[in-house]
Amino acid sequence: MRKALPSILSVISAILICFIAAGLTRDFGTALDAFTAMLWGAFGDWPKFLETGAATAILRPLGEAGTKAAILTFTGLSVAVAFRVGLFNIGAQGQLAVGALAAAVVGAKLEAPGFLHITLCLAAAALGGALYALLPAILKLKRGVHEVISTIMLNWVAVSLIDNWLVIGPLRAAASGDNSISGTDQIHATAELPRLLGDSSRLNLGLVLAGVAALATWLFLTRFTRGFEWKAIGLSQDAARASGIDVDRGFLEAMLLAGAFAGLGGAVLILGTELKYPATLGAPWGFDGIAMALIGQGHPLGVLAVSTLFGGLRAGGTRMQLFGVHKSFPELMQGLALLLVAAKLMWERLLRTRGTP
Amino acid sequence: MTLARLCLVAALTLAACKKDGPAPDAPKPAPKGLTVGLVTDVGGRGDQSFNDSALRGLEAWAANQKSLDGKYVALTAEERKASVPAELEARIKELGIKPVVLQSKAQEDYQPNLQLIVDQGADLTVGTGFMLENAVETVARQNPGSKFLLIDSPVLDAKGAPQALPNVRTVVFKEEEGSFLVGALAGLVAKEKVGFVGGMEIPLIKKFEAGFRAGVKTTNPKATVLVQYTGSFDNVGQGKQAAQDLVSKGCEVVFHAAGSDGNGVIQAIKEARAAGKAVFAIGVDSDQSHLAPEAVLTSMVKRVDLAVWQAASDLKAGAFTAGDQTMGLKEGGVTYAPVRIEIPEKAAVLQKVEALRAKIIAGEVKVPSNTTDLESFTAPTL
Repeated sequence: MRKALPSILSVISAILICFIAAGLTRDFGTALDAFTAMLWGAFGDWPKFLETGAATAILRPLGEAGTKAAILTFTGLSVAVAFRVGLFNIGAQGQLAVGALAAAVVGAKLEAPGFLHITLCLAAAALGGALYALLPAILKLKRGVHEVISTIMLNWVAVSLIDNWLVIGPLRAAASGDNSISGTDQIHATAELPRLLGDSSRLNLGLVLAGVAALATWLFLTRFTRGFEWKAIGLSQDAARASGIDVDRGFLEAMLLAGAFAGLGGAVLILGTELKYPATLGAPWGFDGIAMALIGQGHPLGVLAVSTLFGGLRAGGTRMQLFGVHKSFPELMQGLALLLVAAKLMWERLLRTRGTP
Repeated sequence: MTLARLCLVAALTLAACKKDGPAPDAPKPAPKGLTVGLVTDVGGRGDQSFNDSALRGLEAWAANQKSLDGKYVALTAEERKASVPAELEARIKELGIKPVVLQSKAQEDYQPNLQLIVDQGADLTVGTGFMLENAVETVARQNPGSKFLLIDSPVLDAKGAPQALPNVRTVVFKEEEGSFLVGALAGLVAKEKVGFVGGMEIPLIKKFEAGFRAGVKTTNPKATVLVQYTGSFDNVGQGKQAAQDLVSKGCEVVFHAAGSDGNGVIQAIKEARAAGKAVFAIGVDSDQSHLAPEAVLTSMVKRVDLAVWQAASDLKAGAFTAGDQTMGLKEGGVTYAPVRIEIPEKAAVLQKVEALRAKIIAGEVKVPSNTTDLESFTAPTL
């Protein structure tokens, strides 16, 4: 718990700084309105619910927050597991795009009964993401290419290949006459992730999957021999090698798992809400994953918690526009929180002096 | 989880503060009149063309307001005069509606943003661009009591065939007709070669190309039309590269239908002119003359602003109808911007173009809207 304190304080400070910034650029009344609207948009509009009794006032925001949280959790886990063995996976965005496309293609081209279809789509996405992460892993092991460079570069390769060619070329959905349609074919209903709270909310099975993934990762890293080996590799490759741990295998497995998680994030996006690969893959979920992993201090459950919070804030952030506050404030908070977490020493010194006066 | 809980506590505290604060006794202006909401596509505010045109129709024309640092301020008389084109001045009236605009950061924001506007009690919700087609369809189905306007696409079913929803009006434009006129103008201005820069190679943009080619063919049958597609709508660099390539191949006039890529096209033409070449650019969607007054011959104007204003106006008059509308030259949905630069025999050239406009409106000329129709197109005699 004490270890989590710097992250918690960083997030709170980031929110406060942004609030003050919004207050100074507008006025504090507007800032308060906007930030309150954001929170209602994140975790349910409870006052409206109590006033009108409309359940959608709560269910809809929760749905939006939950879908965003699920994707952030997956990309956050992707970065976190690679980080465990000391690798910096900046390629989650590309792996996510490959996974998303795989899910969209299997969802649209294949026909299968419900449960099986979803499983196949998820498996395809995980496999796609993992294979795409295999490239930098092989480059590192065989050629010594630094994974930061190769994973960054491969992001643009994936995005260009998919967004600028496949989705507007061979895989584009056909429309009648002169009408234009964006993205690939729509997936079959059997491939859609079931909605958890009825039709009015987009909350879907993706959030449950993300939660299970985070929990399983945590168990794996703390309760299994292999998880311990990964930790040893991350702490010191030489020491791990000297004690007989196969470091190369650790790298390979961790990168594969990282890619699979990012791919699953893409699958949740497609199967949960978009129902096809859109013309361009919108938000930079993969890069946000880096922030989730770092603010969550690489702890799977920390990643889950941070993703839940920021998924909510970002879902609610769009409501700030109603008060004339810019839509990007949640990203600003995320960036600031990341910056403050990085200033770890500052927190340690602050906390220590308060602990022992 | 702790963080989420902390956040909830913060939320409750904030809410508590709010109740004690001065907020309640500052009475909000009573909501009189209608509210019209609009969701932009990812291009967003300030794209100088498509989204800005829609926002102009809503904010400037219908509400007589402009957005300044996130707040709305009323337009001055001069600003309003500058915003409404002369030929529409008599028609465009201020409607006294309240605009609510949400910009979208990403594709996945379209649906929640539309829903949020509906939840705000908007009487009409506008989705700007064919990329919002899916989202408008879903939200319209879930809120059968709300009215929607979708720009640039009919509502399509999963197979891509148009379908009608009882609460959605869709507006598509005959871009080929406006493109035909600027093509005719380009053919009259250029001697041998003209160029076209498209964004994504989709049917919508092919309409521009087909109309443009037909226009050039009509006024200058010997001229060749060189075509380049950039594959995007948000990459200024690619547009510039494509235009530079076309200019180096000898194109004298370059028309673009490439969103933000087109800003690069205009930039390239401007630079080529500075280097001494006699070349012109033709802008798209909005009048883009202000981007490079000496280089922009004209612009193929698409009156998205008019479509949005018209829907708001119909709503106010209680005459809002669902269904698919098509706006061409006849309906004033497309046109070309005033030619502000000097060209040889300007009056005679413009007279010829206007004669073609009359023929299209009268139905004597059918402008092709795709490459198949273009092949069987026979140019009318001037």
